[in-house]
Amino acid sequence: MKIAIISWIVLLPLFTYAQYQDNITLSGVIIDAQTKTPLPGATVHLKNTTHDALTNDKGEFNFLTGQHLPITFQVSYIGYKQTEVTLNQRTGIVIGLTAVNTQLNDVVVVGYGTRQRKNLISSVSKVNAAGIKDIPVAGVDAQLQGKAAGVQINSNTGVPGDGVFIRIRGATSINAGNDPLYVVDGVFINNTSLQTISTGGRATSPIADINPADIESIEVLKDASATAIYGSRGANGVVIITTKRGKLGTKPSINFNTSHGWAWAPQLWDLTTGPEHAMLINEFYKNSEADALAAGDQAGIKKYAQLPFRPVADGGRGTPEEQQTYDRLHKLFRTGLLHNYNLSVQGGTPTNKYYIGAGYTQQEADIKPIYFNRASLKFNFDQNIGNKITVGTSNSLYRSFRNQARSGDGPQGGLLQSALHTPTYLPEVNPDGTPARYAGFDNLDVLLNNYDVNTTSLRYIGNLYAEVEIIPALKFRTSWSLDYNHYDESEYWNNLTQLGAAPTNGLATSALTQNTTWINEQTLSYHKTFNNTHTVGILIGNTLQSNIQSTTAAQGSGFPSNAFKLISAAATRTASQLWTKANLASFFGRVDYNYANKYFAEFSIRADGSSRFGANHQFGYFPAVGAAWRLKEEGFLKDVNPISELKLRGSVGITGNQNGINNFAARGLWSGGAGYPDNTTGGDQPGIYPLQLANPDLRWEKTRQANIGLDLGLLNDRIGIEVNLYSKYTTDALLQLPVNAISGFNTYASNTGEISNKGYEVAINTSNIRNSRFTWQTSFNISGNTNKIEKLPVPVTYYNRDWVKLQQGYSMYSFWLYRQLYVDPETGDAVFEDVNKDGQITVADRQIMGSAIPTFFGGITNDFTFDGFDLGIAFTFQYGNKVYNLNRFFGEGGGTRDANRVLFADQLKRWQKPGDVTDVPRLTAYGNNYTLEQNSRFLEDGSFLKLSALTLGYTVPKRITSRAGFQTVRLYFTGSNLLLLKKYSGPDPEINVTSLQNVQGLDLGTAPQPRTVQFGVNVTL
Amino acid sequence: MQIHKYILPYLAAVLLLSCKKFLDVQPQDAIADDAGVITDKSSAETAVRGLYRALSDNAYYGSTFVTLGYLCGDNIVWTGSQSVIQQFISHNIRADNANVASAWSGIYATINRANYIIDKVQAVTDPLLTQDLKNQFLGEAYFTRALCYFDLARTWGGVQITLTPTTTPDDKYGIKRSTAAQTYDQVLSDLVAADSLLPATTNRFRATRKTVWALRARYHLYRQQWADAENYAGKVIADSANYKLVQPYSAFFANNATATSESVLELSYSTTYTNNHRNYWQPPANGGTRQWAPNDALLALVNDPAIGGNRSSLVAKTAAGLWYGNLYYRSPATDPAYTIRIAELWLIRAEARAQRNDLAGAISDLNAVRARAGVAPTEAATQANLLLAIENERRLEFAFEGHRWFDLVRTGRAAAVLGITDPNKLLLPVPAAEVLNDPDLEQNPGY
Repeated sequence: MKIAIISWIVLLPLFTYAQYQDNITLSGVIIDAQTKTPLPGATVHLKNTTHDALTNDKGEFNFLTGQHLPITFQVSYIGYKQTEVTLNQRTGIVIGLTAVNTQLNDVVVVGYGTRQRKNLISSVSKVNAAGIKDIPVAGVDAQLQGKAAGVQINSNTGVPGDGVFIRIRGATSINAGNDPLYVVDGVFINNTSLQTISTGGRATSPIADINPADIESIEVLKDASATAIYGSRGANGVVIITTKRGKLGTKPSINFNTSHGWAWAPQLWDLTTGPEHAMLINEFYKNSEADALAAGDQAGIKKYAQLPFRPVADGGRGTPEEQQTYDRLHKLFRTGLLHNYNLSVQGGTPTNKYYIGAGYTQQEADIKPIYFNRASLKFNFDQNIGNKITVGTSNSLYRSFRNQARSGDGPQGGLLQSALHTPTYLPEVNPDGTPARYAGFDNLDVLLNNYDVNTTSLRYIGNLYAEVEIIPALKFRTSWSLDYNHYDESEYWNNLTQLGAAPTNGLATSALTQNTTWINEQTLSYHKTFNNTHTVGILIGNTLQSNIQSTTAAQGSGFPSNAFKLISAAATRTASQLWTKANLASFFGRVDYNYANKYFAEFSIRADGSSRFGANHQFGYFPAVGAAWRLKEEGFLKDVNPISELKLRGSVGITGNQNGINNFAARGLWSGGAGYPDNTTGGDQPGIYPLQLANPDLRWEKTRQANIGLDLGLLNDRIGIEVNLYSKYTTDALLQLPVNAISGFNTYASNTGEISNKGYEVAINTSNIRNSRFTWQTSFNISGNTNKIEKLPVPVTYYNRDWVKLQQGYSMYSFWLYRQLYVDPETGDAVFEDVNKDGQITVADRQIMGSAIPTFFGGITNDFTFDGFDLGIAFTFQYGNKVYNLNRFFGEGGGTRDANRVLFADQLKRWQKPGDVTDVPRLTAYGNNYTLEQNSRFLEDGSFLKLSALTLGYTVPKRITSRAGFQTVRLYFTGSNLLLLKKYSGPDPEINVTSLQNVQGLDLGTAPQPRTVQFGVNVTL
Repeated sequence: MQIHKYILPYLAAVLLLSCKKFLDVQPQDAIADDAGVITDKSSAETAVRGLYRALSDNAYYGSTFVTLGYLCGDNIVWTGSQSVIQQFISHNIRADNANVASAWSGIYATINRANYIIDKVQAVTDPLLTQDLKNQFLGEAYFTRALCYFDLARTWGGVQITLTPTTTPDDKYGIKRSTAAQTYDQVLSDLVAADSLLPATTNRFRATRKTVWALRARYHLYRQQWADAENYAGKVIADSANYKLVQPYSAFFANNATATSESVLELSYSTTYTNNHRNYWQPPANGGTRQWAPNDALLALVNDPAIGGNRSSLVAKTAAGLWYGNLYYRSPATDPAYTIRIAELWLIRAEARAQRNDLAGAISDLNAVRARAGVAPTEAATQANLLLAIENERRLEFAFEGHRWFDLVRTGRAAAVLGITDPNKLLLPVPAAEVLNDPDLEQNPGY
């Protein structure tokens, strides 16, 4: 304030003596018109002057002015209607602001700028970070579930900090990435996992490094007019994350938040007991023997002649009744602990503002021994130098530690293989007391006591910028940004675990990965209104970006004992190194125009040059054009009171995609690493081999998107409705196209596929009740997307057993199965659909049956406040997606896997005698009942409705807290995943075994998402 | 304005040039083949080593192809969870079997590497690359290609023949399948070429002229050209200074032995290039998965001192009483691929002699192998009994090497021994994905 006062004193001689006489204080307070609470940080402007003031933390303002009464005040504050009042008093002024019920007046961050929502042409969802930050998933990406229309988000596992499936307006690509571009404070950050070790097919999420508590707001850019300014990386949408920055001229505000709670799996699997398992296996042998006799299969007759579960004295495993049941699941699953601490200070002087934040989070998974913790430090600072120059910096430092384990596919070290897939009748220890291992799985106790796999991610994300106002309304900005991630992984399998057991004698891996992205960006922007009617904005800019990723890994085996854990102690050591680099040079521009806040038009273009593509196709051009019409401003609607806002929007443009493909995908390459000896004594000598076919024509994947939208505000904006219809069409899709194997290669990088996505989004925000004591707001969104592979020369299958098939004319993530029609009640045999009617079931009868893509999805959130209490109830839902239950596939093997796999309780529903009506066929090794693997019987409906978050808070009345020196004290309870309605037979349909992007909805060996409750307190000083 | 005239174009040029340079990023772990890769001695010799690494890849002789040979026989029981394995054992192989696809593409990848060498090495003008070296490299490539087409022919019948390196993705479309006879003719033509190019040295890890003779012996056996088979087998056996039946049987593999005199061609592995075999065979107690194991029938034979003799060292038993195959056991997994052993040449000559009614010669050859295994001389006296005795000897001698299935198919005994009544099943299905991808590739009948 001091500087402001001084500047007024300097200006004093300019005023006449009479004015000098009037130059005394104007003071007052700005409050919420309904709740009567003061509004700190509101801008008070005296009309027709250059005088501005910000209210302090008590909502008060002060002016020294020479203006004559009456004075017209213009008061603005985010979330409130701008108000203009003319008053005849100098002190004791009270101006009430009316809250805007919808987001129409919000400031929305768009690419390289901001817009008021009412002036927005493009389709952008804004998510208020405050509403989601208490959901105990590590990453902000997972917290967004159900909050933004058109954005499908699924956490695929209960492991905190693991990868999240996110699709904005559908999947546009098969081999290039489908994840959105993440921009944090102007920095394009890496969101591809750096994981190299195996955790059973899953991958960690780099987004989980970011502390959600530092986030101010999140914008999701969806249509082409919003994303084309990001050119070759815009096709999958853009998530812009803005962190907190403090406010000019506010006192330091210290905030401390802590919460603690528990996480556990609400449902586990229903398994057979030992005696049941034995009884089923004996039945399987009986039936198989009969079938072997019928088929005259001598080997089979011999094999199945004796029941395995017969008295030990007869050489059997004991009778079924003698079998014990060993519960391994409850040894593995636990109630995990959650701890969360965040401390921040923010504020500013009239010329600068700052935010300092520190946080620590620890989250244990619902299975042992997995946990995640993250420490973070945040420093944002902006300094005005004179009136024309602003410099500033954003800095985030994160350390994410993950205690990892294999929860997913693969037998060795697999926690759920050991706990879930081991038959229940088998004891944990051998007769001699040593830990028992079965079916290629590790012993669970050994795993739980000896797991030693962890990852530390150290990450810095930051930038430095300077902004200069060259002439009024013309601004130049330059920035340098860095995203640096050091990812340190280590695995140690001692000699008790299967991987490290003799003869390996301990197996250790250490991998260090560094990912560095630096960005330099310049923009020149001009924004001015002429004659109060024509507003013109111009933006031009360029970006240079370089990314280098390198990994150095070492592996050792043959350790002297379990006390030695470092590779330097290993007898056998191998090392490997990877290095890759990509550069991107871009130029972009945007022109926007609006006439009287009524007609809006915008054109943008970006040219991106990428080192990934051949010289002929290095540059791609991505234009977009959009227009909007605010009908409310027209004469015929101006006085129609029930309609407070009506706007039509439309846009069309082209965006690109180049993510996820190899940096050198276009090149014909020969690789080293194919060494072989020249003779029997010399050992390996270096060797080379053709690695990859060249495709000099490799180029961008392009997505054309058209969007039409409608924004409607009713009843003084108490009801806000936003509707969008879109159509995306991707051409030149980047595809690892299979090439016939006789060429010596398997695939090559090509631009072949075409994919379409069409969909709708509806978002409705209502302020149902708002008075001084009670408020109730509802946000609802629903979206549907139809995905179709329009062109794909050769179908592509994924995952072992080819569960997933991408084929022209079908949706992505489709399952490829044999359709089991029914189980014949007379014979007990499964009857499969003979698609080509040739009388036998062959590969030709496998068909595409449903997809992991939902028909529609969305969320509904209700927020209530009553005096000091607040209650938030958020549901998310998804309908029509399919999940293939691979756990059941293994657990209902009908006895074919005998002692190698558990039998699920559902196996007891098998056909036993003529007349039985069931879909679980007769147990036998013969025929198709259990040997035709890709059986549609295990394809299940994955629809769900989930109470994703329930928060109840109580803010202690100010009269109590202020006595203790606190501004606010809020106590709260948060629960997540408290209710899950589903048809799916497994614990959670929101699940996937792998991070392979084209494989979705496969449930195998993955920890289900936890149910959590937390208690917390939030104190502001 | 004058300044702008010069400065602006200059700035634009600098910008464009620096942009071009900025966007030119080269890989460091691979080289671009824009200007050709095999250009001098060093690149030629490294490419030949890369060829052997393809031959020894896990898709081919490393494990997958070899497993086809024994899993389809009658020695193995499936004990794992992957039912693609069960398809082999029950002779009910589906066209989408992933292991079949893996072997198919592994073999053709090897052919492509051989084609590169055959196409490029002759034209290299590097004084260090002498004509002798060129001949050696070319001969090794011809030998390897011969082995590839031989393996393709005996597994799938006539296949598509490609003799040039692949440089573009559509290079190898439009090729029809050759007949089995044409494919075998290609094998012979490559073997003849290799014979003329390679020196008659001894190198157990790589092909020499003597390795060519050994493969020719096998080739002529498969083609039932008994005289040639006897002749070529005899040429290798005659080199007894370098190739002999090591005593006892286990000496060629036990105690981490490599490159014993038993081996005519043995592919080499190291901690960098490991071999998947042990992982499938060894029980979990030894860090394996025991996807399959010797079946009761084989165990009875191999553990019978009168039949298996000291070949019982092929199997072992865990503390828990589980039998497992122990030919591939090393840790790290560096078990060699025993591609051609001298025992095979003895048995080839025995069979060829028996077929030519040289029963005494046949008996003596067979007994050489039996004696090494520590079992009594054969009692077979008639031609028919002798042939059966040789077949049974091969079953045990190569129990976990990739011979049994191909032996039963080539002798027409698959129906009698394995109970395969559908003759279409004697050839494996062409991988379904390949048939789908290549309109000129026809599926084998019955799949």
